[in-house]
This record gives sequence, C-alpha cells and structure tokens, in this order.
Amino acid sequence: MIRTENLTRRYGQRTAVDRLTIEIAKGEIVGLLGPNGAGKTTTIRMLAGMIAPSSGTARVGEYDPAREPEAVHESLGLLTEAPGFYERLTAEQNLAYFARFYDRIDTAAAVERSLDRMGLLDRRRDRVASFSKGMKQRLALARVLVHNPQILLLDEPTAGLDPEAARDLRKLIIDLREEGRTILVSTHNLTEAEGLCQRIAVIQTRLIALDTPAALRDARSRSAVRVRLVRGNSGLVAALRELPFVENTEVTDGESLLIVAVEDIDRDRPRLVARIVELGGEILEVAEERRSLEEVYLDLVREDA
Amino acid sequence: MSGRRIRNVLRKEWLLMARSPSSLLFVAGIPLLLIGQALLLSWILPRFLGVDVPIASGMAEDLGSIERFRILLLDQFRFFVLLIPAMVANVFATLSIVEEKLTRTLEPLLATPVRTWELLLGKVLSGAIPAVAVAWASTGLFVLLAIGLGWGPLLRSVIDPSWHLSVFLLTPAISILSFVLGVIGSSRASDAKGAQNLAVVVVLPLFALIAVQVVGWVRFTPPLTLALSLGIAALDVLMLRLAVRLFARESILIRWR
Ligand SMILES: Nc1ncnc2c1ncn2[C@@H]1O[C@H](COP(=O)(O)OP(=O)(O)OP(=O)(O)O)[C@@H](O)[C@H]1O
Ligand SMILES: [Mg+2]
Repeated sequence: MIRTENLTRRYGQRTAVDRLTIEIAKGEIVGLLGPNGAGKTTTIRMLAGMIAPSSGTARVGEYDPAREPEAVHESLGLLTEAPGFYERLTAEQNLAYFARFYDRIDTAAAVERSLDRMGLLDRRRDRVASFSKGMKQRLALARVLVHNPQILLLDEPTAGLDPEAARDLRKLIIDLREEGRTILVSTHNLTEAEGLCQRIAVIQTRLIALDTPAALRDARSRSAVRVRLVRGNSGLVAALRELPFVENTEVTDGESLLIVAVEDIDRDRPRLVARIVELGGEILEVAEERRSLEEVYLDLVREDA
Repeated sequence: MSGRRIRNVLRKEWLLMARSPSSLLFVAGIPLLLIGQALLLSWILPRFLGVDVPIASGMAEDLGSIERFRILLLDQFRFFVLLIPAMVANVFATLSIVEEKLTRTLEPLLATPVRTWELLLGKVLSGAIPAVAVAWASTGLFVLLAIGLGWGPLLRSVIDPSWHLSVFLLTPAISILSFVLGVIGSSRASDAKGAQNLAVVVVLPLFALIAVQVVGWVRFTPPLTLALSLGIAALDVLMLRLAVRLFARESILIRWR
C-alpha cells in the first residue's frame, strides 16, 4: 500500500531523510519512531506529496506522490504536525470547508459522521477557538477522516495531550486499524508505538531498524540475570567476572544489585547462583533481566549517533 | 468540479470576514471618507478659486465657470472609486495566504485535492467581488448625494458613456488586479508587512492615472476607457497565471516552520 525506495530528502547541505526503503502492507499499522529531527515529518510530507524527494521514489496506493499529488490527496488522510484550524469558524464550518474540496462526497453527512466518530457532535456549533488542545487534535483527526481515506499518515497524533486524552486517541486509531485502513503513525513515544503498531521503523535520518515490537526487543536483549544481595561485596563481583560463562557484570546500589550477562540464561542461571552462594553471597532475589523496548530504542539511537 | 471548490473558498473567506467586525468597519469607512471628501471639495473649492475651466465636449455651453469646475471635480469620483478595491486589497488579499500560514491551515488545505488556481482564484474573487460591490454602492450613494445637493443637472455632463465604461468595466478589472497582486504578495512574502509593501504597487499607478487626467494630459474618452479596461482585464488573466506559477507549494510549507 505504501512503498518507498531509497527515499532521500536534503535541505541544502543537511540530509533529513537518507535512503529510506520501507514497505507497508494493506491494513497494516506501522510506527515511525525516532528522536526530534529524525526525519519523521519530512518522510510523511514526502509520502503525502507535500514536498518532493531529492532522490528515490515512493508509492502511495497506486500513485507516485511526487508525480500525481492530487490523485494521492484524493485517497489519503494526512494528520499534520500542527492541527491548524480557522479559529473564528465553528468545528462544523471548518470540517465542511475541507470536505468540499473532495468531489463525490456528501459534505453534510460526511461532516456529521466524522464529528460523531470523534465525539465532537455536541460541540459542532462551537468556535474552534474555544476548543482544548485535545479537542482540536480530535477535530484534526475528524478532518483526516472526512473523506473516508483508506491510507492514513498521522504525524505525532498524541503530541502534547494529557495521558487520558492520548489514550482515547490511541483507542480511536486502533479502531481505524481494525477497519482495515493502512496507517503510518510517527511518534517519539515508545509505549505508544508498542501499543499501536504491528511493526516499528526506528529512524534517525536513515532506517536503523524495522520489525515487530517483540522481535525488536528479543533481537537486542542480552540474556542477563539480575541478582539482589543482602549486602555488596567487591571480592564476590571480581570472582564472578572470572567465570567463563559470564560476559559482563554491572553493579549498582552499593554493589548489592548485580546484572550479570551470561551466554545462555537457562543453562547458566543455576550455575551462577551456586557460585554466588559458594562465595558467601546472601541472595535476596534472582530474576531474569528483560530489557524494555525503551532501552532497546535508546541503544539503537545511541549506537547510530 | 472546480466551480464547487472556488465557491467553497469564497464562502469560507466571507464567513471569516463576517466574523471580523473591525475589518468590516474599515471596508465601510474608506468609501464614506472618499464620498465625503469628493462632495466637500466640489462644494468648497469652486467658491475660493476663481478659475476658468475650458468647456469640454459634451459640457453644456451655458454653464458658469463655477459649475464647470464643479463638473470637473464631480467627474473625478469615478477615479477616486478605483482606490477602494486597491485599499481593501491591501488589507485583505495580503493577509489571505499569510494568515493561512500563521494559523497552520495551509498544510491541511494543500493536502486536499484543491488545485492551486482554484484556491487563488477563490481568494481573489472573495475580495474583488465585495470590493466591486462597495465601489458601486459608493458610486450610487455619491450620485444620490450630489442630486440631493442640487447638482442633478451637472451630473448630466458627468455621467456619459465613458463614465459607464469606467464604473462597470474599469472598476472590476482594477479590483481583480489589486487582489491578484495582493495574493502574489501574500504567497511570496514572509509576513503581512512584506505582502502589503508588494501590494502597494497597484495604488501608485492609480494615483498616476488620476494625476494625468486632472492635469489634462489625457482625456478618458469612451474608446480609451474601453481599451484601458480590456488591457487591464487581459493583465488580470496574465497575473493570475503568474500567481499560480509563483505559488510554490513546497517552499511555502518549508520556509514556514
Ligand atoms: N523546512 C526545513 N528547512 C531546513 N531544514 C529542515 C526543514 N524541515 C526539517 N529540516 C531538518 O530536517 C531534519 C528532519 O526534520 P523533521 O522535521 O523531519 O524531523 P522530525 O523527526 O519530524 O522531528 P520532530 O520529532 O521534532 O517533529 C532536521 O534536521 C531538521 O532540522
Ligand atoms: Mg516532526
């Protein structure tokens, strides 16, 4: 449904997006994850036919956004980084204005359906100036949906929303996915990407990783055992570092918390525990150390920089 | 379906105008000022200045010199009225794109299938139509007030074929030109001030127009008025095309962050 090949955009000397190749299947929801300035907005703008790539190609639905932007616009919903409304007009007037640029849609019905879906029907006659940030964001999503597009590009949909409003919006996006729409959503919120997306593309100018959240986490997670001792003991730590199956030992909390990376967690955990006891360590707790997606992400981004 | 899209732009612009009382006041204020000034001058000036005005063709032979001078002044109004669209455009057209940039509505707008020419023509007409309406209303009010002041007979010398051409052809053509220039200024400039400076260029030739015929270098005979109107109408089309070409969607988006 969406495909890019070596998509590149430069602003003067600076490369904002570098040879991005990515494919999104129909009905799939993919997260575009990256820190500030990673090129998320630039990528989305190229896909939406708002700016031209410096090199490389893209395909959205059946069209090339650089060559046939109007055809892409007919079937695409773009949630821009800033919501952007005519504040002196009502919610309904705003939506109707944008809706009437699409041929073949019944404006009044489309506007009502869209407002209803975003829970704004009772506020339709209110001026947008009186809306909260969360309501404006929902109205922006209503605008994206007004012509019922099957492909959605959402640029940081929950940016600046409070946790509850963000959660409501995420629910709406999940509903949209369940209706079979193809969605690319940019974010720098990891939990959000994990909760929403089937696959995550981590970008930092280039594509650094592209996989399901689970696979991303597994591929990067070392096997490690977390051991909490009653009290720290530097002799013990030195001895553990000598063990052949121990790859690395991190120490925190006054040497009472050890994160011991081993070759094979199932085989090595009992051996490690036995050795600690032998060395006179008093164990409070032993657990498998699982890395959060956030750590994986920070690692990826840091390694790349 | 371009008609529907252009009407859509018109409707939205007018809704926004209607919700901005201060700008409506401004639009109503200019014509009243112009009318007042024109009538006052026609009334006062001939009393103080003992000028003798040569009888122009079509002017009644038996009028005194005060009347003849008064006719000359009354005749100026059709040129003054051209300033209305120029000034209204300076405020509205220059804001139109700049405001879309500031409110961040331009990007979602350009993400719809709207064509650049539809958007720009809509913007131009949304200003030019009310400007022409105000110009015509002012002309009507001016004529009524002049009759009220007992100058009805004088008006017979003022309202000639060239006057009609001026009001019904030249005024709309100049209105459109003012707004096209305003929109060009608005899409190229980085702020409202810059856009207004660009749009001022339309006001200066108008003053020149008024000057050359006051001094008597040129008389706007019907053929000349017709030729001028058609020339400006052609210029309208050319400039609108230029505006569409100058409206670089991409750089407007990326220069405004
Ligand atoms: N209009 C522009 N002119 C010049 N450079 C730009 C422009 N837009 C973006 N850039 C540069 O391109 C890079 C990518 O920017 P982009 O806005 O795509 O990042 P982003 O991932 O959307 O960031 P954020 O999370 O802050 O929204 C940055 O280095 C930015 O400075
Ligand atoms: Mg961005």
